[in-house]
Amino acid sequence: MSTALHPIERKILSALAPLGSAPFEALVAATSLNVDQVRRALQWLTSKGLVTIGGSVEGRLELVREPPELDLLRKVGQSTAPATIGQLRGEFGSPEEFSAAFGRARGSGWISVEGGAAPVVRLVDTAGAEPLRSLVRAVASGKAERDFTKEESALVTDLLKRGIVRRIETRTTTVAITDEGRRSSSPTESEDFIDRLTPNILASGEWRGRKLRPIDVEAKAPRYFPGRRHPVRDFIREVREVYVSMGFTELQGDSVHPAFWNFDALFIPQDHPGRDMQDTFYLDGLADRTLSRSGVVARVASAHEDGWTTGSRGWGYRWRIEEARRLVLRTHNTVLSVRALSESQEKETRVFAVSKVYRNENLDYKHLAEFYQMDGIMVGKGLNVRHLMGFLAEFYKKLGMADVKLWPTYFPYTEPSLQIVGFSKAFKSWIELGGSGVFRPEVTQPLGVKVPVLAWGPGIERLMLMRFGLEDMRTLYGSDLSWLRNRGELAGS
Amino acid sequence: MPVVRLELTRFTKMVGTGRKEILDRLPYIGLDIESSDSKSVRVEYSPNRPDLGTDFGIARALRGLLGTETGLPEFRTKPTGIKVAVDPRLSKVRPYIACCVATGLDLDDEDVRQLISLQEDLHNGLGRKRRTVAIGLHDLDAVSPPLSYRGVPSTFKFLPLGADKPSSIRSILSDTYEGRAYGHVFGDSDVFPVISDSKGTVMSFPPIINGNATRVTTKTKRMFVDVTSTGQKAGDDVLAILATTLSEAGGKLGTVAVRYPDKTRATPDLSPTVLPLDLGLVNSVVGLDLPRREILACLARSRMGVRGSKAVGPRYRVDLLHPVDVAEEVALGYGIDRIGPVYPPSKAPGAFNPFEEFLDSVSTVMAGAGMIETMTYELTDRRTLYDHFERPSSEMVTVQNPKSLDHSMLRDALVPALMAVLSGNVKSDYPQRVFEIGRTYARTRDGVKESWHLGCLVAHSQSSYTEAKMYLEAACRVVAGLEVATRAAEHWAFSPGRCASIAVKDHGLGYVGELKPGAIDAFGVGVPVSGFEIDLSKLYELLK
Repeated sequence: MSTALHPIERKILSALAPLGSAPFEALVAATSLNVDQVRRALQWLTSKGLVTIGGSVEGRLELVREPPELDLLRKVGQSTAPATIGQLRGEFGSPEEFSAAFGRARGSGWISVEGGAAPVVRLVDTAGAEPLRSLVRAVASGKAERDFTKEESALVTDLLKRGIVRRIETRTTTVAITDEGRRSSSPTESEDFIDRLTPNILASGEWRGRKLRPIDVEAKAPRYFPGRRHPVRDFIREVREVYVSMGFTELQGDSVHPAFWNFDALFIPQDHPGRDMQDTFYLDGLADRTLSRSGVVARVASAHEDGWTTGSRGWGYRWRIEEARRLVLRTHNTVLSVRALSESQEKETRVFAVSKVYRNENLDYKHLAEFYQMDGIMVGKGLNVRHLMGFLAEFYKKLGMADVKLWPTYFPYTEPSLQIVGFSKAFKSWIELGGSGVFRPEVTQPLGVKVPVLAWGPGIERLMLMRFGLEDMRTLYGSDLSWLRNRGELAGS
Repeated sequence: MPVVRLELTRFTKMVGTGRKEILDRLPYIGLDIESSDSKSVRVEYSPNRPDLGTDFGIARALRGLLGTETGLPEFRTKPTGIKVAVDPRLSKVRPYIACCVATGLDLDDEDVRQLISLQEDLHNGLGRKRRTVAIGLHDLDAVSPPLSYRGVPSTFKFLPLGADKPSSIRSILSDTYEGRAYGHVFGDSDVFPVISDSKGTVMSFPPIINGNATRVTTKTKRMFVDVTSTGQKAGDDVLAILATTLSEAGGKLGTVAVRYPDKTRATPDLSPTVLPLDLGLVNSVVGLDLPRREILACLARSRMGVRGSKAVGPRYRVDLLHPVDVAEEVALGYGIDRIGPVYPPSKAPGAFNPFEEFLDSVSTVMAGAGMIETMTYELTDRRTLYDHFERPSSEMVTVQNPKSLDHSMLRDALVPALMAVLSGNVKSDYPQRVFEIGRTYARTRDGVKESWHLGCLVAHSQSSYTEAKMYLEAACRVVAGLEVATRAAEHWAFSPGRCASIAVKDHGLGYVGELKPGAIDAFGVGVPVSGFEIDLSKLYELLK
C-alpha cells in the first residue's frame, strides 16, 4: 500500500482522526477545502483503504397546503350569516377544489345541507375533524414519521396520495477513518518533510538533510495536448524528400489556369467528357483573354485538328480559342510540369509537385472535391517504358509500398498509358494508385520538346488511408480535433 | 467509366479458357475488374476503346492475347441494294447518316442485353450523350426499303416506341423524358430529322426516340442499324463498332447505299486503319530490342496485322492516331508484365522549392507554439465565408455548376474556415488553438490572384487580443526574424476597438484581433475567440 499522500488527503485525515467519523459536510467545513476537492480526495483515500464511506437515507414529512375540507369548516364557522353553497364556492380557488372539500366534509358527517333554492351549509360535528387537524399540526411541527400512531399513519398515506403532504428524503454521507488511516495521519510521519522545493529553500540550503514529502506518483495528471503539424503535411514532406533524393526539382504554382494548359496542351479534345462542367470546376465569368492562336497555342490547336507535323491524324474537329480561355481549377498537377516544359525546353530534367487538384465531385468515403496529387515528369533522350517502371518501383518502395505493378489503361495524353496498382497488405488486394505513361508526340512536339517525357500523377490519399488504417478519405480533412490531437505519431509507419 | 457484365459460363466458352486465367489477364488488355463472383465478372472499360463494350469484343481481344486466335480480324460485307436518300435540309441539323444490315442472326436474351448496353455506352461516350451521334437498331423485316432520311416540321406526327397513339414532334420534345433530356441538340431549328421507309412508316426520330414498328427482339433475324451524326467520322466510327460486334454475334454484314445530293456512299466501310510501322520507334518507346519477326507476333496478339512497312488495325479500333499507338500495341502483345523495369539513376541533384520550404517551416514553428494544424477545403460556401460575418459578398469567386453548395466558391481568407473548425469541435477540450496555412483567392479585374495565408485562432474562456498578438509576434520573429507593428484598424472578422492591422516595414500583412461576438455566436462557439491572419506570400517577398 502506498503511503504517499497528497496534501489534501493529509488534511482530511488529520481533521477526521480526532472525530473518528463525521458527516461529509462537516468534513468540508473542518478542512476549509471545496466540495470537489474533498470528494476527489475521499475517492483516493477509500481506494487506499484509509477511510470508509457510509450513508443513510432519512425521510421527513412536509405540509404542502392545508387540507381543503378543514378550510371549508373554518369558512363555515367564521361566517356570521348562514353560509350558502354559492357563497362558499366563490371563496375557493376553483369549483373543483370546492367540490372535493364539500364532498369530504359532508361524507364525514361534519356538515349538513338545508333549504331548497339557496341551500345553506351548517356545522354538525366539528370534533370529528379533530384527528385530521392534529395530524396536520404534527406534520407542520416536524414530528418524525416513526412516532406516528397507526391511525395517523393511515391518514398520512391518504394525504401523501392527495399531494397535501410530501415526503422529503435526505441522504447523509458519513466518513469514518480506518486504523490504517489513523496510522497514516499520525503526526510523527510528517515531521520534517519539505512539501515543495522553492528557490528560497534552494538558496538557503534548508534542503540539506531533509526529505521531500512523498506524493502519490500514481495519481492522474491533467490532460495536455501538444501542438502538431497536420498528418497530411508530414506525409507530403516525406514524398517531397523521396523526390528530391531521386534528383527531382520541386515546382510550385497557381491552382487556377486557362483550360488551354490544363486540357488542350495535354491533347485532351475540347469535347472530351472529362472537360464537362460535371467533372471540372470552371470559374464563373472569368477567362484569360490574353490567350491567342499564335506560337505554342497555334501548334497545339493544329495538333488537335489534324495532328500538325507530329505524324498524327489529330482528333479531326474544329478547335476553338474560347474554350481554351476559360479559367479552371487544375484537375491535375501535370499542368505545372507542362508549363515548365514549355518554358524551359530542357533536354534533360526531372521535376515534381505535390499539391492540390480539384474535381467537381460529391464527397463520399472515396471521393473528394479537393485532394493531393504527387505528379512528376522525367525528360531525357532514350527514356522509355522500362525506365518509367523502374522509377515507379523505386519511388513506391521508398514510400513503403514494395509491391507495385503496372496495368495498361488509357489517357488522351500518354502512350503507352499505364495504371499504377500497389498491393495493400491491410486490404489484401491490389489498389489503384494512379496514372502514368509516356507523353504522346502530340503533347511534346507542339511544346518544342523532342525527347521522350515520362509522366505520372498518382494521388496521396489512398496511401495515407493504408498508412493510418482509415477507411474514409474525409477523415483526413475533417478537422476533428480529437483525431488531430490524439492520433499516434508513428501510426502505420 | 462504362461497365460490361461478363456472364462466366458464356464467356469462358467464348474465350476458350477458365475463370482464373480470364481474371488474371483482363487487366492486361486495359480492363479494370470492378467486382466478381462465382457467376459473373463486372469490368470497367475506357470510353476510347468502345470495341471492348460487349463480351463479344472483350473475348475477341482476349483470344488474341492468349494466342488462340491472333491477327487482324476480317469482316466481309455484301451490298444489300437498300438505299437511303438524305434530305439536304438536314445539313444544318444532323447532316450525316450511315447504316448497315446484319442477317442470319439468332440472338438470345444475353446477346440483346449486351447490344443494348453497347448502344447506351456509345451514346454517352463517342456520341457525347447523343449530341454528336445517335443509334437506332431495327428489325429489317418490319421495314420496306428504300428509306429516306428527311427533314420534317415540328407538327409532324408518328407513333413513337412504346406509345399507343401518334404524337407530334413538338409534343415528344416537351412531354417525354427523352425529348426533355436530348431535345436541346436542335437549338432553335425548325426542321427535325426522321428516318422513314417507302410506306411512310417512321423508324426513328434521331437522336430522341425510335418508331414503334421496327423494334428489335430475340426473334429478330435481320437487323437494320442507323447511325446519325453531326460529323461523318464519328458516325462511321460508331457504325464500325456496331457492325463488327454484330459480326462477332454471328451476323452476316450487308452494306447500304447512302445518297447525298452530291455523292453516294456505301456504309459501313470496314477497311482497316493503316499507320506507319516504325520498328525503331517501337523499340525505343518500349525499351526492348525486338526483331521484326517478334514485333509482328506481338501485333498479331493485339489483333493487328502488318502489310510491308505499314501496321494495319481493325476498323473498330478508333483510338489509333499516331505510329506511337502501334508501339503500345506491341507492348500489350508482348505482355506489360514481361517488360522488366530499369531504374534510371539521376545525373543531377534535386532541390526543394524554397517557398514550399518556407511554408513547411511556418507549420513547424506554429506547431511548436502549441497549435494544432488543420487542412480544410479551399472551396467553401457563402454562409461560412460571408453571412456569418455579416460582410457583403460582392467580390465572390464562384464556380459553375458545383455538385454541392458547400463547395461553391473560393475562399479569400482563412479565418472563416478556422471558425468552422471551432464550430465543429465545441465538444472537444478547451483551450483550442488551431492554425492553417492555405491558399486564398482574391478577385482582380479580369482574373484571380492567389496568395498563401497563415490563419490562427485561439478559443477559451480567457482568450484575448493580447494572446493573439503574442502568437503573431512569436511567429513573425521565429519564422522571419521580423518585428511587426500593429495599428488600430477595422476588419469584418474582428470587434471594433479590439482589432489592429499588421505591418512589416510599412507593408500591410494582415489583421489581428478579437472575433466579433456576432460571428462567434453565428458559428455556435460558446467561448471568446481571438486570432490573426497574415499573407505569407507577401511576407516571403519581403524576406527576399
